[in-house]
Amino acid sequence: MGISHWPGWARALLNLALVLLVWEVVGQFQLVASGALPPPSAVLLRLVADWYDYPEHIAATLYGAGVGFLIGNLVAVAAGVLFALYPITSRVARGLNVAIFALPPIAISPILVLTLSDMAPRIVLAALGCYFVTMTATVVGLTQADARAVDVVRAYGGRKWAALRFVQWRSALPTILSGLRIAAPNAVLGSILAEFGGGGRWGLGVYLLGSLGRAEPDRLWGIGLVATGIAALAYFAFAALAGAINRGSQAVTVPSAVLSAGDKPRPAWQQALIIASSVALPFALWWVLLAVLRVPSMIAKTPPGLFEYLFLLPSAPIAQGKLLAALAQTLPMTLIGMVLGLALAFALALSSQIWPAIVRAFMPVALVTQTMPLVALTPLLVLMLGRGPAVILWITISVTFFPAFVTMAQGLLQVPRAALEVPKAYGAGIYKQLRLVSVPASLPYLFAATRLTVPRALLGVMIAEWLATGTGLGNLLNQSRGYMDYGMIWAVAVVSVLISVLFYQIVVVVERRTLGRLGMASAE
Amino acid sequence: MASGIALRDVSRTFVSRGQTTEALRSVSLDCAPGSFTALIGPSGCGKSTILRLCLGLDTANAGTVTVDDLPPAEATRKGITGVAFQDAALLPWRTVEKNIALPLDVLGLSLGDYRERIAELIALVGLNGFEKALPAELSGGMRQRVAIARSLVTTPRVLFLDEPFGALDQILRKQMNIELQRIWMETQATTLLVTHGIDEAVFLADRVVVMASRPGRISRIIEIDLPRPRDPALFNQEHFHALERQVSEALDGH
Repeated sequence: MGISHWPGWARALLNLALVLLVWEVVGQFQLVASGALPPPSAVLLRLVADWYDYPEHIAATLYGAGVGFLIGNLVAVAAGVLFALYPITSRVARGLNVAIFALPPIAISPILVLTLSDMAPRIVLAALGCYFVTMTATVVGLTQADARAVDVVRAYGGRKWAALRFVQWRSALPTILSGLRIAAPNAVLGSILAEFGGGGRWGLGVYLLGSLGRAEPDRLWGIGLVATGIAALAYFAFAALAGAINRGSQAVTVPSAVLSAGDKPRPAWQQALIIASSVALPFALWWVLLAVLRVPSMIAKTPPGLFEYLFLLPSAPIAQGKLLAALAQTLPMTLIGMVLGLALAFALALSSQIWPAIVRAFMPVALVTQTMPLVALTPLLVLMLGRGPAVILWITISVTFFPAFVTMAQGLLQVPRAALEVPKAYGAGIYKQLRLVSVPASLPYLFAATRLTVPRALLGVMIAEWLATGTGLGNLLNQSRGYMDYGMIWAVAVVSVLISVLFYQIVVVVERRTLGRLGMASAE
Repeated sequence: MASGIALRDVSRTFVSRGQTTEALRSVSLDCAPGSFTALIGPSGCGKSTILRLCLGLDTANAGTVTVDDLPPAEATRKGITGVAFQDAALLPWRTVEKNIALPLDVLGLSLGDYRERIAELIALVGLNGFEKALPAELSGGMRQRVAIARSLVTTPRVLFLDEPFGALDQILRKQMNIELQRIWMETQATTLLVTHGIDEAVFLADRVVVMASRPGRISRIIEIDLPRPRDPALFNQEHFHALERQVSEALDGH
């Protein structure tokens, strides 16, 4: 009897057992980087031996992630409701939303550590990690509620709020919960990245960073496992909750664009006003927040302060030179890593059309990585791959590959069988089927995956540069912390956010053009 | 004197992608209180638009619409109207009872005062024993009957039905028509029924309003002089067929 007849969970267990077995063998014989990959048994033993250290680190990370999760999601749901009920607000807030989605958390982590104190940086970064996912899920959930049921409410004189109360919120609940499911690992990741940025004695990030220098692979792996365990627990808790509320199926990935409302065309000057305020809003918020927090102007750079630092001060040319040199190192790596990660994911997702069994076996592994604070595990890769440029590429590929693969593979699953069978009925071979149907049908998901991975790729590169190679923007950020070069910390943060937003916008524009020409809708 | 439903020179145009569609061009229609009017016409003739205008779900570009002498938005907010759509549009997470009670929630009425009414309605549409069932556990016909019961829960003076049986099979539809006539005769609500079925229109209505498209307008009004209560045997009578033919010819533009 074939394994293919086993139930899904049994096959997943079998795969897991196989992976563990191979890992154990590889670890025991020190086959990878002379012992940098310890066997699972050693990791477990070390975890037990270190257990005394863990409670306080776990508690600190949980606190930052938990409070951030709560605040971030509350704000996100409130914002989502506002955007869904009054679409104009969503257009004004678009710049802010994209900036929050695209900002590499590691870049603003030092700023948060400078301007806030105690646990606040962790809470903010965890909250930021939750915001976009949950906000988008809320908007999508609310706007996709049954229009007829909304009509019934309106036919009895109910207004927007009545429709929200009686129809929309409840029908959005499963979507919001699946958003929370993705937000949970993001919160853990945010807290850990803020811990990398400095401040505090406790936290898994602090522990991870502290253990990196001591070359104790088994301990590092233990910390990584615990961090993943926490994130996975939260992920599955919300998955179970969503399952209990709605026995239907949900997508695993979450849409990464804000829906634009199809309302009446506005006059050009209004359009321009909306776009201008959308761009200005993030800068205004930056300014206002600094004013409200009363951070000394030496440390906190306002937009004009940063302009002065980069263009007007006598030291400006030196600062510019450093920044450009770092960019020249970071950008190519980001692009190459992202393209490789996406290409691999695309190839593997397409091959699911040829060898469905392989992908079905691989899918659970890819899904599990969705629950990992993957970027936070960079120290493990550093340990295994050393500190050369290769580590940057590996990290970038791995942080882009998995989410891109999940997005595209699930998208391809939605290609109707009938569409595949039409060319087949005319005798087309598998490659012709791919070319005629699967590749074009997967384009929307390729774009969705690209949008999703742009910020992750930059984040991956910067973390690798910070922790391992000592090059590029990541290193410049880390160095400037040491030199207390506040202007440069702000400059790196702002520039990396801008680059990320710019990449994102380029993808959006290309996507609209391409899909528009093909008459396809963009995948949310 | 109360006016039931009144449309005066109502026009509605839609603009999309630079193209203008005249859904309604100066339509006037009066439905006397307590009357049953059927609207019939090809797709896109604006019959559903009329219904949406009457319910305040849409607003006219020109002309006035009143329901019981009130602007639609006011009439709906006072609980004067009831509505059932083609798809039952039930909330999947509410039981049959709670779905029927939805208009009460929206209007802010006390559920306690309506317990008996809801039980009556469930009996009226023949769903005894399904009070606590969820929509997913019901057949299509049963769901539609829940929607009918929901449209009646406020004891509306004006009832709007937008192809309420459009998704049902022919046999079930005839049964529902007979039930609907009985319910209507008990409540005496002014009723406007949008339908695709000629037999359904002739069987139920006092008047059949035939519409034409591009632009949406009323092309002919046919009085149905069949005595009430009408029973299923009517479907086989010559006079019934003659009326059906009249409607059919009006639809073909004769």
